[in-house]
Amino acid sequence: MTAPQSPSPLVFDALPLAGPAAPPFTLDVPERHTVVVLGDEDSGIELLGGYALGLERPSSGRALVFGTDIAALPGPERLAFRRRVGYLPSGDGLLQNLSLRDNVALPLRFGSGASPRDIEGRVNVMLTALRIAAAAERRPAQANEEERRRAALARAIAFDPALLILEQPFDGLTARVASELLELARGGETAEGARRTIFITGQEIPPVVLRRVDRVYRLTRPGVLELETV
Amino acid sequence: MRAATRLTDAGRALALRIAVNQVRFTAVNAMGLVALLSGILSFLVISQATRELGRFGATDYIGTLIVVAIVRELGPLLTALIVVGRSGTAIAAELATNQVMGEVRALEAMGIDPKQYLVLPRFLGSLVSVFALLVLFDFVAIMAGFAAARFNGMPGVRYFDIVLESLRARDVWLTIFKALAFGAIVGVVPSYFGLAVRGAPTEIPIAASRAVVAAMVGIFLCSALFVALG
Repeated sequence: MTAPQSPSPLVFDALPLAGPAAPPFTLDVPERHTVVVLGDEDSGIELLGGYALGLERPSSGRALVFGTDIAALPGPERLAFRRRVGYLPSGDGLLQNLSLRDNVALPLRFGSGASPRDIEGRVNVMLTALRIAAAAERRPAQANEEERRRAALARAIAFDPALLILEQPFDGLTARVASELLELARGGETAEGARRTIFITGQEIPPVVLRRVDRVYRLTRPGVLELETV
Repeated sequence: MRAATRLTDAGRALALRIAVNQVRFTAVNAMGLVALLSGILSFLVISQATRELGRFGATDYIGTLIVVAIVRELGPLLTALIVVGRSGTAIAAELATNQVMGEVRALEAMGIDPKQYLVLPRFLGSLVSVFALLVLFDFVAIMAGFAAARFNGMPGVRYFDIVLESLRARDVWLTIFKALAFGAIVGVVPSYFGLAVRGAPTEIPIAASRAVVAAMVGIFLCSALFVALG
């Protein structure tokens, strides 16, 4: 299921978003680009992240991450491959019975061979970079929306992935915080562009954020993408 | 068990911490209830038996009653039912909540096997807890039987003599196997029903209820199987 000829870190290839009657969804996300796809609640846009990570299997078409169809991999390999991708699900997906610190540390504890001391060090760096060190011991229910979103982003970039998939990452945040989180997600700039490739889905994105991304598409009807001028 | 072998060192330490918490909730917090029920049951049974069997001069059968009826059969059964009632419900409701809140999906997206993080520690915790509570149940039952025998005029030394004469190594092994089998049922069945929830929060109490019923049926069937094979 590997397609080495594909240069894009993320490819959606003829995926059904809203039943067989609608046109299939196809999109390439180029390396080091930040691509946004906007759509209404019933557009099927919420399926894209799950398809990319192999959390859901499409009835037809495929999603390729670094040329690999994650859904087609066997269990342990599928889990290991997902660690190469950062994912911020809609609603943050933080574990309610863990502190924000433990939420950030969780993927490192289960997915890396690092020592507890190294993991603690890495988590402290992440918490400081995301500016949630002061709220680190709070549980998600005790933290505000901005702190939860920062923690979820810290968890998503814990492995310093080359590709980030963000679902409705800026809902409920101010434009200033949204811009800051986008910059942190991009991971800084290189001569070739941003350090990371970022794919964002949502219903609406703050205009100030839209000005900082490379491409914005809108699902005007299920499966029909229109490029918007940034 | 395969899930345990794939854990990293930090992941193993975290799973162990969760298992210890599970033991604290399942075993330590239930010690009073188990001791109370065991003590009352044994005291009532041995009091009645001492009186009734004494009329026929058959008080030696008290030993068989304690070993076969209480230590070997009722002890494991009642202990497992207490644990299912207290912790089986909690495990099913907790995992169902994890599922409904999207936490299980988030774990999978991070490359963490939910069986490693959610099921394995609860499985181990339940095994240890049922075994520990069964030891407590049997100890309290024997001591309460001693009190009942003394209360009804039987010398204490004679009571322990007839109990020890009735106790065979096979009874001890059978009790241990039962504790492990029932502990496995308590750990696995509620986890299965909790993770099987897919939709709304209203499914959580339904899952908890189904889990308890299924675990109780499983424990009775398993108990019957032990009798049939024994």
